[in-house]
Amino acid sequence: MDVVLKVLLFASLRERAGWAERSLPFTPGVSTAREVWNQLDLGPLEGISVAVNQELVGANQPLQAGDELAFLPPFTGG
Amino acid sequence: MTGCRVEVCPDPFDPWQQLALWGGDEAAAAIFIGRVRPTTTDGRPLEALELEHFPGLCERQITAMAQRLQQEHRAGPILVLHRVGRLAPGEPIVLVAVQADRRGAAQRCSAALLEQLKHQAPFWKREWCAGQGTWLVANTPL
Repeated sequence: MDVVLKVLLFASLRERAGWAERSLPFTPGVSTAREVWNQLDLGPLEGISVAVNQELVGANQPLQAGDELAFLPPFTGG
Repeated sequence: MTGCRVEVCPDPFDPWQQLALWGGDEAAAAIFIGRVRPTTTDGRPLEALELEHFPGLCERQITAMAQRLQQEHRAGPILVLHRVGRLAPGEPIVLVAVQADRRGAAQRCSAALLEQLKHQAPFWKREWCAGQGTWLVANTPL
């Protein structure tokens, strides 16, 4: 089976992109959230939070095979 | 007992019923119930308020907030219920309840937790008005 990353988008980001979840091929040792974001062509990363496996992390954190990567638009709060 | 119970609820809840079920016997309790207001942020009649969250991450973030503030204020048990999904005006959206040995601890912890929820909790809100949805970019003032 090919090694993949699962990428999730939420709220306004999801609607801007037109998709909620996508599997991308994973290349060991070269991927960070920022690099994946740049491949998605969804505009600047500023203001977007990044979660890997449901934990908020910095955009430059290296990714591992099978990670779930989520891009979160600015929170509105409860 | 000093637990923090945090639930994100896809279905409507009755805050008074939930408080009765929660129980507790500390000397003081501070309770806040928030309902959806009937107008949009720019003053038009609100059809519905939609809330979205990231399941798992959202509950953990709110639990971490509640636990930090519980320690800081030396409060007792904390209950947080927060709706997601599509809500009509007037529907309960949030319940925050804090018990403590003293009124000051209960009230201060409750107020601080509510402000953190309003400004930092990982929710996204969309107002629906005349069939059009608008994602909000900030929350309401205190």
